[in-house]
Amino acid sequence: MDDLEKAILISFDESGAVDSALKAQAVAYCQQFKETPSICSICIERLCFSKLVQVQFWCLQCLHEVLRVRYSSMGPEEKSFIRKSVFSLGCYESIDDKNLVRVLDGPAFIKNKLAQVMVTLIYFEYPMIWPSVFVDFLSNLSKGVVVIDMFCRVLNALDDEVISMDYPRSQEEVAVSGRIKDAMRQQCISQVVRAWYDILLMYRNSDPDLCCSVLDSMRRYVSWIDIGLIANDTFVGLLFELTLASGFRDQLRGAAAGCIHAVAAKRMDPKAKLTLLQSLQIRRVFSLVAEDNDSELVSSVASLLTGYSTEVLECLKRLNSENGKAVSTELLNEVLPSVFYVMQNCEIDETFSIVQFLSGYVGTLKSLVPLTETQSHHVGQILEVIRSQIRFDPAYRNNLDVLDKIGREEEDRMAEFRKDLFVLLRSVGRVAPDATQIFIRNSLASAVASNGDVDVEEIEAALSLLYAFGESLTDETMKTGNGLLGELIPMLLSTKFPCHNNRLVALIYLETVTRYMKFFQENTQYIPLVLSAFLDERGIHHPNSNVSRRASYLFMRVVKLLKAKLVPYLETILQSLQDTVAQFTTIYASSKELSGCEDGSHIFEAIGLLIGMEDVPLEKQSEFLSALLTPLCQQVEALLLNAKAQNPEESPAKIANIQQIIMAINALSKGFSERLVTASRPAIGLMFKQTLDVLLRILIIFPKIEPLRCKVTSFIHRMVDILGSSVFPYLPKALEQLLAESEPKELAGLLVLLNQLICKFNTGVRDILEEVYPAIASRVFNVLPRDAFPTGPGSNTEEIRELQELQRTFYTFLHVIATHDLSSAFLSSKSRVYLDPMMQLVLHASCNHKDIVVRKACVQIFIKLIKDWCARPYGEEKVPGFRSFVIEAFATNCCLYSVLDKSFEFRDANTLVLFGEIVMAQKVMYEKFGNDFLVHFVSKGFPSAHCPQDLAEQYCLKLQGNDIKALKSFYQSLIENLRHQQNGSLVFR
Amino acid sequence: MALPNQQTVDYPSFKLVIVGDGGTGKTTFVKRHLTGEFEKKYEPTIGVEVHPLDFFTNCGKIRFYCWDTAGQEKFGGLRDGYYIHGQCAIIMFDVTARLTYKNVPTWHRDLCRVCENIPIVLCGNKVDVKNRQVKAKQVTFHRKKNLQYYEISAKSNYNFEKPFLYLARKLAGDANLHFVESPALAPPEVQIDLAAQQLHEQELLQAAAQPLPDDDDEAFE
Repeated sequence: MDDLEKAILISFDESGAVDSALKAQAVAYCQQFKETPSICSICIERLCFSKLVQVQFWCLQCLHEVLRVRYSSMGPEEKSFIRKSVFSLGCYESIDDKNLVRVLDGPAFIKNKLAQVMVTLIYFEYPMIWPSVFVDFLSNLSKGVVVIDMFCRVLNALDDEVISMDYPRSQEEVAVSGRIKDAMRQQCISQVVRAWYDILLMYRNSDPDLCCSVLDSMRRYVSWIDIGLIANDTFVGLLFELTLASGFRDQLRGAAAGCIHAVAAKRMDPKAKLTLLQSLQIRRVFSLVAEDNDSELVSSVASLLTGYSTEVLECLKRLNSENGKAVSTELLNEVLPSVFYVMQNCEIDETFSIVQFLSGYVGTLKSLVPLTETQSHHVGQILEVIRSQIRFDPAYRNNLDVLDKIGREEEDRMAEFRKDLFVLLRSVGRVAPDATQIFIRNSLASAVASNGDVDVEEIEAALSLLYAFGESLTDETMKTGNGLLGELIPMLLSTKFPCHNNRLVALIYLETVTRYMKFFQENTQYIPLVLSAFLDERGIHHPNSNVSRRASYLFMRVVKLLKAKLVPYLETILQSLQDTVAQFTTIYASSKELSGCEDGSHIFEAIGLLIGMEDVPLEKQSEFLSALLTPLCQQVEALLLNAKAQNPEESPAKIANIQQIIMAINALSKGFSERLVTASRPAIGLMFKQTLDVLLRILIIFPKIEPLRCKVTSFIHRMVDILGSSVFPYLPKALEQLLAESEPKELAGLLVLLNQLICKFNTGVRDILEEVYPAIASRVFNVLPRDAFPTGPGSNTEEIRELQELQRTFYTFLHVIATHDLSSAFLSSKSRVYLDPMMQLVLHASCNHKDIVVRKACVQIFIKLIKDWCARPYGEEKVPGFRSFVIEAFATNCCLYSVLDKSFEFRDANTLVLFGEIVMAQKVMYEKFGNDFLVHFVSKGFPSAHCPQDLAEQYCLKLQGNDIKALKSFYQSLIENLRHQQNGSLVFR
Repeated sequence: MALPNQQTVDYPSFKLVIVGDGGTGKTTFVKRHLTGEFEKKYEPTIGVEVHPLDFFTNCGKIRFYCWDTAGQEKFGGLRDGYYIHGQCAIIMFDVTARLTYKNVPTWHRDLCRVCENIPIVLCGNKVDVKNRQVKAKQVTFHRKKNLQYYEISAKSNYNFEKPFLYLARKLAGDANLHFVESPALAPPEVQIDLAAQQLHEQELLQAAAQPLPDDDDEAFE
């Protein structure tokens, strides 16, 4: 063994026993060796003598690499030598008498690698330089299995590396592929097909693997060779013979079926296609699917049947002649029963494409209404298929009920699987509405009639069908209960299944009732039934907490829709919810359970919606509300009272408990409107104010607890919404406490609250804002980084994301302040120190922020501040220094340089809007600063961008004119012009 | 003569090859497994890292030697030489970078040239990122080639075990094989937005839920 071989062995070591420094050295050595001028002959020589597969592999890899990179610079002798040698290796020949090793005796990956090298030569040389490659190969096939196998590998590699469009190809590669295909069609493809036929005949019994390879090549090539070579009685006959004969291995039979599939899928004119499909006599394979249910063969045959059916359907759609339609319909009618059979009885992966085909078929039926008897029968079959497919396997019943890991996976899998089937169901529902409704009615009726646990899956499936069907119904149908709905819905409501304690059954039952809730709007006689479905142990009182929480949410949605009709039942509802309500705030739920939207607080929202209606008399309303709020507030007070005396380990539970209570009150308040609370029934408002008093004390007793701050903030949001300006007195203290040592996330939350206040009350919050702004600015500039956020690996941390979020919210905050006439807040004596950093921040963002919308907001801030703070030209300066900052920094950097940047994309709609604002800013600067602005911008800014004098003059004229649109389009062309020149010293990034 | 798959442990072990464009998160993915990370052999100079990852199944312990073929240049290094004797594979792409999905067929072809008929899982990584470019419904390659597809998020551990479980089942020839205890994973760096993920998963439904084209539409064909 010489150094090269040693180095190769070391670099290919898989044991991990080799020292990594040595390995690196070996790899480097091999790499360097590739630079040897005679590397190709060295590789070929090794291939003849070395028995080490690693060495063989390395040599082939190296040959491939050298050919790819250096082919054009090789001399003709070298090319010829490589060609002859590689061909000899591929044909199991000796290059000279000394050679001991034959590459074709090696493992598959060596032969594949050799095929890759050969295909690389074909890529460069066929047909011009090496026209005989295929013909020569064909004449070597008589040497037997080894060469035939290699021939198939070369053909398959040619498809993979050059022809198949499954891979991304460059234009050049596509051209080469066309050249090779054309030459083969003209020169040798009929001989290749002939060889395939002979090989299959000769080896079908003795070497099924070889035949599989041949069939694999054939399947790949059918799409571009003359179909007549394969689609003839002889060849098709052989393919069917292979598929059907039970004496052959499944793999071989499946490969033959795959070829028939390729023939059926060949792209051609629909008329010729139909003749071809007819000639296949596909019925010959029907018996195969009935024999066996889950073999590899059935899978291939199923795929053939689906592919064939899809093609026939395509002919039916595209042919206009009576005869064409009749023949396609006949063929479809013939094949469909087998497709249905496969779908219902076989374990296969083909479901997806079958469902796609069936959807296509149903789509075609749409134009054929009214349906024939056969078609109606098919529709019935499709519905049966859907029902059988959506059923859960009883084996998972317990997993699904307790929802363990396996159950959760099964549930996810089924949810995914059902999607397409339900789409199909709805399509069928549009084509054959009556049949579909009857089918669903019958399914539900048999579910209702069933008893015992045996039928859990069947009941679940029947309910799911009804649920899925509802998605396609119009509001009108839903309300009037047209068709069978008037029968179905009452049947559903009055049913309590023996297996109703099963989680899945209970959930789908409630979902279905909710889906059809519009029906009850017009059919109010069913409301008591609806209520008991939600309030008894089928719903909110279900023993499974997953179900009862979901029931709370769904009940809330039903209440939202039907609340006006529920007034008479108010007391009953409240009564039956008493225990649930009490439970909610006494259970010390772990924070994990609290997460997500299904926390159970929806029950309070539902109650709020009901008791918050004006239809409820004031006296009753106060009574109900007080019955809920008083104990909740007392609970909070009690928790606060002994909080200090408590041992700190108990706090997490207390905090969780308080969170629950705030969420409940929040949810409850959603049912009350501002008008009711402040204008028509101030007594109710008073109750909420008292609650606010209590809840704000939380911030004092438990300061700086993030979850509590977050919950109290959201409660203040609610109170701002319903109490209006009467919350003002509470705000200064609350804001101060929320601000103290706030984290970026909390700070952003606080800014959102302030934005809400400003947007709702405009200048009404001036005093509060002026008071709080300096503290906010101080905090924000403290936590935001002075420089840009880091980019690149490792910068995508949660911490940085939070800061970015804060920065973004801060821009919005500044924008909201400026656009609501509150810019005086920036100028108060305590705020002054933050004016400069604030302006720098806004300037930077207006030029560079990656989000165009943020940039636009920042430009708008400038426009507003210029309007607010600057009088007409040469007037007194309200904010000293602002004017020169705007003219010198903002005007040139934002209005000129940032726009000149090539990343400023005029074709993007958002950017165009930003551009409009930038032009507007120039207009406003001119109005306010007059020639001060113009002189600086045009005589200092423009020259640095090498703007020609005449364009600069035109700019001045447009700016002085009144047509802002003309200014905008002129400025855009000016910028594009300057970018085009690109000859300035200014570096446009 | 052929390289034996060195059995350094007394339970079944398999060579698993992980391929895919650079930056798709292959390394992050294998490093989620803490015990593997602890024992890994690091061979930076030749651009492959081998991580032994152990899993506990109902049939006993198994080990995947994960060959993380990160940072390969087009020429140089061993490239497809690393695949030799691979017994199973993961092809990774990044759902936020379309090109990485476009290159999946090429990775698959190069893999199959060296490893014929091995079980392969296709993984769409980074589903935690909000603006994905490759939507769930656009991923169809696995259907053509009979691969298993999983959406994963290496950073949030979402579906970490799924590819390994699938491969273990295929290699053992036992569809009911399951993991009996979870491997120790590094804590998630990001919380996957489950609501958003469900949204993606529903996209297929929404696309398919479009009403069937009206008869008039066919006039345009």
